Amino acid sequence: MSSTNSRSKPDFNLNFNLKNYDYYLIIVTSIALMMIGLVCVFGVWYSYDLYSTNSNWQSTIQFPEYISMMNMYVYPFVLVLLLSLGLCIPKRIVPRAALIKATFVILLLTLVASVVGGMELGITFILLMSIAVQAVVLALTILKSGALTFEREGYLIQIGSSLLHLGTVLFIFDFVSMRDSVYHIPVFWVVTVLMGIGTLMSFYPSEISRLGRKIALR
Amino acid sequence: MGYQEYLVARELVSTFGQPILAYATLISAILLLLSLYYLVKREERLIEYSIKLLQVNTILIALGFMVLMWFHFKIYNTIEVIYPEYVTAYMYQTSGIQLTSSRFAIPLWIETEKLYFWALCLSLFAWQISRKYRDSAKGIIVSLNVILSLLVIITYLYSNPFNEPLPIVHSEITNWSQAIAAQNPQIVGQIAMQLFGRITYYYNTMYMWTHPPMLFIAYASLAVTFAACVFMLFKKDDVYDKIAYSHAKIGYLLLTVGMLIGYPWAVLAWDGDWWWDSKINGSIMMWVLYSAYLHTRIHLCKRSMWEVTAILGIVCFISLIFTYLLTYVVPGIHSMAQV
Repeated sequence: MSSTNSRSKPDFNLNFNLKNYDYYLIIVTSIALMMIGLVCVFGVWYSYDLYSTNSNWQSTIQFPEYISMMNMYVYPFVLVLLLSLGLCIPKRIVPRAALIKATFVILLLTLVASVVGGMELGITFILLMSIAVQAVVLALTILKSGALTFEREGYLIQIGSSLLHLGTVLFIFDFVSMRDSVYHIPVFWVVTVLMGIGTLMSFYPSEISRLGRKIALR
Repeated sequence: MGYQEYLVARELVSTFGQPILAYATLISAILLLLSLYYLVKREERLIEYSIKLLQVNTILIALGFMVLMWFHFKIYNTIEVIYPEYVTAYMYQTSGIQLTSSRFAIPLWIETEKLYFWALCLSLFAWQISRKYRDSAKGIIVSLNVILSLLVIITYLYSNPFNEPLPIVHSEITNWSQAIAAQNPQIVGQIAMQLFGRITYYYNTMYMWTHPPMLFIAYASLAVTFAACVFMLFKKDDVYDKIAYSHAKIGYLLLTVGMLIGYPWAVLAWDGDWWWDSKINGSIMMWVLYSAYLHTRIHLCKRSMWEVTAILGIVCFISLIFTYLLTYVVPGIHSMAQV
């Protein structure tokens, strides 16, 4: 599929190189995000419709049905998002062919878990896998692994991006699988710190680095 | 100090605040006409006039905000809710919080003050853009003037914070003061219980002081991204992308942290299933769309990605307005609307 696209689009390289790989991953990620947005719009319209017929609909059987329906609609796109994150962040450490094969295996195991234990087990499985992958990437980034070169250069951006992605995956996991746990809110605060610092480092690497140098000089 | 002094402060806020907002609205109307005229005719001298008007407007809005700050400070200083002993004991038993009295630390972005705060943030961003990009992005400066003018006019017409300052807070304070004056212990206890909840879990919470302002500053910053994205559709000029991206970064950071801070608050305040509520749906939609915008922007130089990114930036802002309006249109746990 990639080679067909390469021939039909003159500004693309003939080889399916790393930049094209990144490009397609970003397209997939963006489409998954937009689809989640569309599911949310549908949810707004659907709940408004239910309100207009029965203002007390949340106390009826319609409410749990609505929650299940929304979960069912959003899970496939969350799955795609998690897979694309899994393909995107570790692409510099693992050869791409192996990464794609591993992703297919994870997808297959997720589907098996979903069929055997339900959708929640499937999503918990893939979330745990994603957390493991993101945590390893973050550890390697902090250790300044020579194998890592990100799309946008800069050590701070690399760490920021890893923190942000780990935070996102951890948030979904905390919400899906830890809602009844006593650690739900503490884990959530960890997520907030990861995502906040991750976003700051990804967006303002030069300012942070300048500040770091100033502090070091004192 | 007490209720009478509070009433005098409230009267003063109206007396000083009303003309400030009225003048700001008048200037906004002129600025709106001037900006629209510039967008059609492109007369360069109009830019200078519009920047001056923007500066005067920003100063007026900031002045009005200072009046509101003073009023909030006065509320804190003049009104003290002293809980009857049995209320203190009961609240300690049920919530673990032991308070003998409370003061109202009212945030500056509730009730009719929300849009005003948004307008203040936007005017500061517009001023900064007009200083930094006076020569290179005149269109964006003028477009921001249009958005700001509309926001100020809407605030004056539908959400004037000086018209009847903080109506809900006022009714709560009045009820409390009347109960104290009537010296009916039963009513005093009843109202004290209600106020304990309102003050402890709403007005004085860390969440109320962080979650809404972060989102309003984000909204103002993302309005700049929107204006720049509109211009990106018509011209491939890097300065437009630079403005759009730099403000999307501020907006996205505050949006992310602001929304996350709201989560534990929701868990505490709304027992049970509140996920997939209309406002929550809207907020997730807005966040994922801005995430998509930031992702597509990475490959801006690829074919069609400039246009896709620009369109996405515009769609994102439409989703932001949609999400804001959901509070007033679609009923739900995070909403004031009724069918």
